[in-house]
Amino acid sequence: MLHSPRLFRWATLLALLVALPVSCAAGDLAAPRFGRDVLPILSDRCFHCHGPDETHREAGLRLDVREAATADLGGYAAIVPGDPDASEILQRIESDDESMVMPPTDSHRKPLAAHEVDILRRWIAGGAMWGKHWAFERPVRPSMAAADQHPIDVLVRRRLEQLGLSPSNEAEPHTLARRVSFDLTGLPPTSEQVAAVDADDATDSYEQLVDELLSSPRFGERMAMWWLDAARYSDTDGFQIDAIRTNWPWRDWVIDAFNANKPFDQFTIEQLAGDLLPNATAEQKLATCFHRNHQTNGEGGRHPEESRVDYVIDRVNTTGTVWLGLTLGCCQCHSHKFDPISQREYYQLTAFFNSIDETGEAGRRAKPYLDYQSPYVAEIVAQAKHLAEQRGAHQRAASEAAEPHFQRWLEDQIVNVQHGFEPWTPLAAESLKTASRAQLQQQPDLSIVASGPNPDQDEYQVQCKPTAGSTITAVRLEVLPDASHPLKRIGRGPTGEFAITTFKLQVAKQGQLQVRDVPLASAAADSEAPVPEGKENSRSYGRVGHLLFDDPRNGWAVASEVLDQPHTAVLRLREPLEMEDDERLQVIMIQLSDIYQANVGRFRLSVTDQPASVVAIDQTMPLERLATLAPDSTDDIPEKLLGELRQQFLATYEPYRQAKRRADAARQQLRTYESQAGEVKVMVMHDREQPRDTFVLQRGVWDQHGEQVTPGVPAAVLEWPQEKTQTRLDLAHWIVSPDNPLTARVVANQLWQICFGAGLVRTPEDFGLQGEVPVHPELLDWLAVELVESGWDVKHVMRLIVTSETYQQSSKFTPELLEQDPENKLLARGARFRLPSWMIRDAALQASGLLDESLGGPPMMPYQPRGVWEALFKGRFTYEPSQGDIQFRRTLYAFWRRSSTPTYLFDVAPRRTCEVRPRRTNTPLHALTLMNDLSQLEAARSLAVQMVATESPPAERIDWLFQRVLSRSATTAEVATLEPQLTAWLAEYRQSPDEARMLLDFGQPERNVDQQMADTAAYTVLASLVLNLDEAITHE
Amino acid sequence: MNNDHRCITTNEGARLLARRAFLGRSAGLSLGALSLGLLENVAAASVSNVASGRGDLPHFAPRANNVIFLTQSGGPSQIELFDHKPGLHDWAGVELPDSVRQGQRVTTMTANQKQLIMPPRTKFGRYGQSGATLGEWLPFHWKIADDVCFVKSMVTDQINHAPAMTKFLTGHQLVGRPSMGAWASYGLGSANRNLPDYLVLISKMNRPSDQPLYDYYWGSGFLPSQYQGVQLRAERNPVLYLQDPDGMPRGVRRTMLDSLAELNQMRLEETRDPEIDTRIRQYEMAWRMQTSVPELADLSNEPESTFDLYGPDSRRPGSYAANCIMARRMIERGVRFVQLFHPDWDHHSQLNSWCVARCRDTDQPSAALVTDLKQRGLLDETLVIWGGEFGRGVAGQGDWQSTDAGRDHHPRCFTIWMAGGGVRPGMTYGATDDFSFNVAENPVHVRDLHATVLHLLGIDHQRFTYRFQGLDYKLTGVEESRVVEEILA
Repeated sequence: MLHSPRLFRWATLLALLVALPVSCAAGDLAAPRFGRDVLPILSDRCFHCHGPDETHREAGLRLDVREAATADLGGYAAIVPGDPDASEILQRIESDDESMVMPPTDSHRKPLAAHEVDILRRWIAGGAMWGKHWAFERPVRPSMAAADQHPIDVLVRRRLEQLGLSPSNEAEPHTLARRVSFDLTGLPPTSEQVAAVDADDATDSYEQLVDELLSSPRFGERMAMWWLDAARYSDTDGFQIDAIRTNWPWRDWVIDAFNANKPFDQFTIEQLAGDLLPNATAEQKLATCFHRNHQTNGEGGRHPEESRVDYVIDRVNTTGTVWLGLTLGCCQCHSHKFDPISQREYYQLTAFFNSIDETGEAGRRAKPYLDYQSPYVAEIVAQAKHLAEQRGAHQRAASEAAEPHFQRWLEDQIVNVQHGFEPWTPLAAESLKTASRAQLQQQPDLSIVASGPNPDQDEYQVQCKPTAGSTITAVRLEVLPDASHPLKRIGRGPTGEFAITTFKLQVAKQGQLQVRDVPLASAAADSEAPVPEGKENSRSYGRVGHLLFDDPRNGWAVASEVLDQPHTAVLRLREPLEMEDDERLQVIMIQLSDIYQANVGRFRLSVTDQPASVVAIDQTMPLERLATLAPDSTDDIPEKLLGELRQQFLATYEPYRQAKRRADAARQQLRTYESQAGEVKVMVMHDREQPRDTFVLQRGVWDQHGEQVTPGVPAAVLEWPQEKTQTRLDLAHWIVSPDNPLTARVVANQLWQICFGAGLVRTPEDFGLQGEVPVHPELLDWLAVELVESGWDVKHVMRLIVTSETYQQSSKFTPELLEQDPENKLLARGARFRLPSWMIRDAALQASGLLDESLGGPPMMPYQPRGVWEALFKGRFTYEPSQGDIQFRRTLYAFWRRSSTPTYLFDVAPRRTCEVRPRRTNTPLHALTLMNDLSQLEAARSLAVQMVATESPPAERIDWLFQRVLSRSATTAEVATLEPQLTAWLAEYRQSPDEARMLLDFGQPERNVDQQMADTAAYTVLASLVLNLDEAITHE
Repeated sequence: MNNDHRCITTNEGARLLARRAFLGRSAGLSLGALSLGLLENVAAASVSNVASGRGDLPHFAPRANNVIFLTQSGGPSQIELFDHKPGLHDWAGVELPDSVRQGQRVTTMTANQKQLIMPPRTKFGRYGQSGATLGEWLPFHWKIADDVCFVKSMVTDQINHAPAMTKFLTGHQLVGRPSMGAWASYGLGSANRNLPDYLVLISKMNRPSDQPLYDYYWGSGFLPSQYQGVQLRAERNPVLYLQDPDGMPRGVRRTMLDSLAELNQMRLEETRDPEIDTRIRQYEMAWRMQTSVPELADLSNEPESTFDLYGPDSRRPGSYAANCIMARRMIERGVRFVQLFHPDWDHHSQLNSWCVARCRDTDQPSAALVTDLKQRGLLDETLVIWGGEFGRGVAGQGDWQSTDAGRDHHPRCFTIWMAGGGVRPGMTYGATDDFSFNVAENPVHVRDLHATVLHLLGIDHQRFTYRFQGLDYKLTGVEESRVVEEILA
């Protein structure tokens, strides 16, 4: 399968060579230590069958406890301390006999490598001393000789020296400014900030920058993005209904907490149990939304209790991942395979969350709620209001500007309708088809009559050729009774009933085999059969609006009393349709109802070019009335009709339509924000009066109750007496107890991950036995102790990290480091990794000057391609991008629909369940997104406008662009590459001004540029290029 | 086969460069002098070795190279379409005996009504030499009866849509696992360097759907996100962000990408970060996709006979029928896993009109796809799967005598069919009891289906794992599952 088997082996060999130094570094060759060296091997290869889970234990042997592992098994023991050769475990591991070897071949577990066997052998020889898994031992501050060196650097360099490696040089000042600015605020630095760090004379300029960034409100926003992913925050429920929730005030609470540097223990306590604090404030209650951010399922037919149990379980699993770094979810069905946590203990944890006063329902029935007035909503409402007023004024101005055009049009119309006005043109069919053996035939009055067999269900297809160049805005369907029909009614069936379930309009172009759909906007009819209340989802033949959907359970029908009279329906198109000469209009009428044989017997189709807004069923069109009036001049037209005619004109007058569309969008946006201006419902935790009983759930199934349990904490982590573990508040205190060995390590690791792209433990979600052992364990412990002893001061720890020399190293690779440590676990260089996609959007907005720095409030909608939500939800949700400056708010505030992750982001935590490890892939789809996403293009265009506005020569403009986007000057080589290219694009766009106009015509029209189009277009391409540079999207 | 260098994560890339630097030195070459061909070979080696579980793939000779999964979302009624139970007419309106029901849960939609038996709403016939039973609402299926294998004894353990579909597609009812297509893409990569390995098509339908199609149905779960399915839409922009803005001629885009690559190359030499090299390639792949995807999606060079074969709806872009043509074109271009979704099979009421409508959408095109692949000699290596997340109950929902009536969800048995790709044609496997309620023989759990699909792709499901949160995950999960050997050709 591979091109070259030889290369294959080479690569394997090389991978080993590369991997070895780092893994050896973790252990000390002289004396294997249980927690760090031995336990990972036993856990990975043995515990699945010989571990804590009693239900899957093979041969009654367990190897996770010393007494059991060394017990006499009848003349022999799995482990004989001091005597490797007598230890059964080694004999089995090294056995050649397929029926004897461990792990068994059919377990598909990797056999032990030679160095792993060696570790076990030396460990047993040394007495097989047992210990705890490293992460379950309380961290102690490692001893360090008092030095003026930064403690982080002392610990990192100690390890580097052992391996004969030296740290990298300090990164260049501008790189450093970018790095620390991205890490602490999620944004690139301003040019002033770069200049300050770049200046030679200021020795502590970097520290000053760090302080500036830490005190910026952008810090809280950056940290909140970390926390929102972990908290699976979303603006919708998820699952089938995916209803919108208004929990965004909690998001703002998180931002505030980080900005105020709320101690992390307090931050934790308030989110887990703020409601249980004495005299809890509204904000402390608001904080508990953390554990209501899970998905909620409102699917019809689902048992709410099943959902409620899911939520409780989600809370436990999330708590495990975020604070404890434990994969507790494994215990839902059975005791943990690897970590010393029993299924019983797991359900003891669920007991803390089992008595929330909730029902398991979703949508607006997801109590308990807190009615909360956000302090941040006023600003966005004011912003939206200002825009709506501004655009409203534009609309009025456009209306006034249109008046002379209207008057001229009206004069033309008076002449045109002198001999009457017929708005509807009946269609002559070119071809008529049915899906059955029934036949259709057109009569001289252009009505179409069905004959032949009458099937239970049928489909009519009428193809016709409207006048070339004509515009179609609506179709009229007349259903006609006929003397030849049973009971002389409309339908062909025995009862004379008719039903039409779907009406479709298509355009077929000659010479093409595919057709295109013509979307319909609405329908009206002169008569509809009454539909009983609440029957919308069942049989309800009546309403004409149902014709628009591919749903045969409902459709248009009329009451039986009026079946002997003709009836009319009109179907309005979403957009006017211009017919080309070689195009045909295709009408499809489907009757798939369960009123068998209710096929229409005779009907007629007509079209109109009058604006859809004046097409009504119950009144004549303005031009018809004008024709009846037959005025001599415009002065003879009554005010009401004149107004209607003006509206009709404006509906087709493009300059006005555009102004109206934009004003409508702004008004719609204002309504959305005004609806959240008062108190909104935030889902919070609140216990019910009568606590629920909690049980072990057999195999994790919601209604399979096992043993009843009371609240309790896993003893292997930190044993606490029962009286101290009664409530959620107790649990919160247990989590942030200085004695808890996990929390501080897990949190410190995530803070490290923010700055280095990867944690000291590379499995931030798993500090258990299967997690990765840290390469710098002392550093992790030092940070954890520092975090606790500083009073859980997050800003302090972040400052410590970014002021270390380790952090400030250059991120350039050297051949030596590439060989020894390509993943940079040893930290002999700075971290280089692609920025999270949300940061890429924010950075582009910042660099281009578009960023709106408003903090907090209801979510906004960044640009997203049309139709994404519509396709998934078949039209139930539509996506309208935010208008005005609100569009350019930070990505943190973007509306998050759980069932449709924002398309302009990639490698994001999908926020269905908790995730704390960043995803980082590199695919062509990411390239396409950054090339063509409208936010990126807006940023490029804005940069272009600014470049073109200067008098500077191209090379200087390029340099300015580099300063803005990359925080540095362009090199001579870079300018030499870009300048000729720019000249070529300029020539191209000057030659094709239409292309230039098209390139610049997108997004928010008020940002359009009318001047120097070709230049702006060429510079937009240039700016887009620079925004796409690896350097622009990378933490260097 | 695995020359798919798109699948390189940061860490893999770092290791790759380490190796390449090593290679370069030993071969006496500078980095820049390495030919692209060699780079690609090295990349191939890295992909097959570095990641867990797939270095030895395929485990054995595959029977199928590609999969087309025709997902019928909502739960088609086996009782009307496939599973002929003429005896039910004698039980019409009778309460389902407890001996049959055996405590089976129903959804809260019918929990408060009596479970009265509703006989099938369709007439049945036997078709093909194999004599497969098929209802009258799938007349085009009659003609492919001898090409497909009907599995009538499918079982799942979820009764609500989202969990059942999640289980059907990812092997677990809880969200977060990779979909079958992502597993296949991860394990086997692609035979086409200009298209993604896993493509998804959703029928364009004008109806607010009761069951939305979540993007995690084709998601990569905990696998790196490049293995997730890419949705092709029946729009001007078939893949999101594929199309350059109006006013950017191809020549401008090309020169923009050339300069971008040149500047990125300078940065690569400066930083030696192998990730930049990968990024340069991804932008090139993006450029190629801008041509290859529209070419794929453009059906204008298909002859009239294609549209005749797939039926009138195939002329409407985005229809299930048009998507079936697209699926065949994808297979022709070497796309590993193609998944179609047709929504709206959740027929709680009005079977006689509602179910008929969805049959009309899908009957002719599904059959045409099998026929078309066969005629082109592609069926042997392409596995086609047709099915939904569960079946429907034998009791009527609503008044069983009224045309209003439909059927509630039913997890204990349902029918799917498979064709091509090493599956025995003209076969019916498994059987249900007289009520199409319980499996009477040869149950095939969703897990067994997954094991079988992987087997046909040359993968031993027991050995195909991915480590996440300290566990070695498999598509088939931890419970027993088996390859259904009996249906293999």
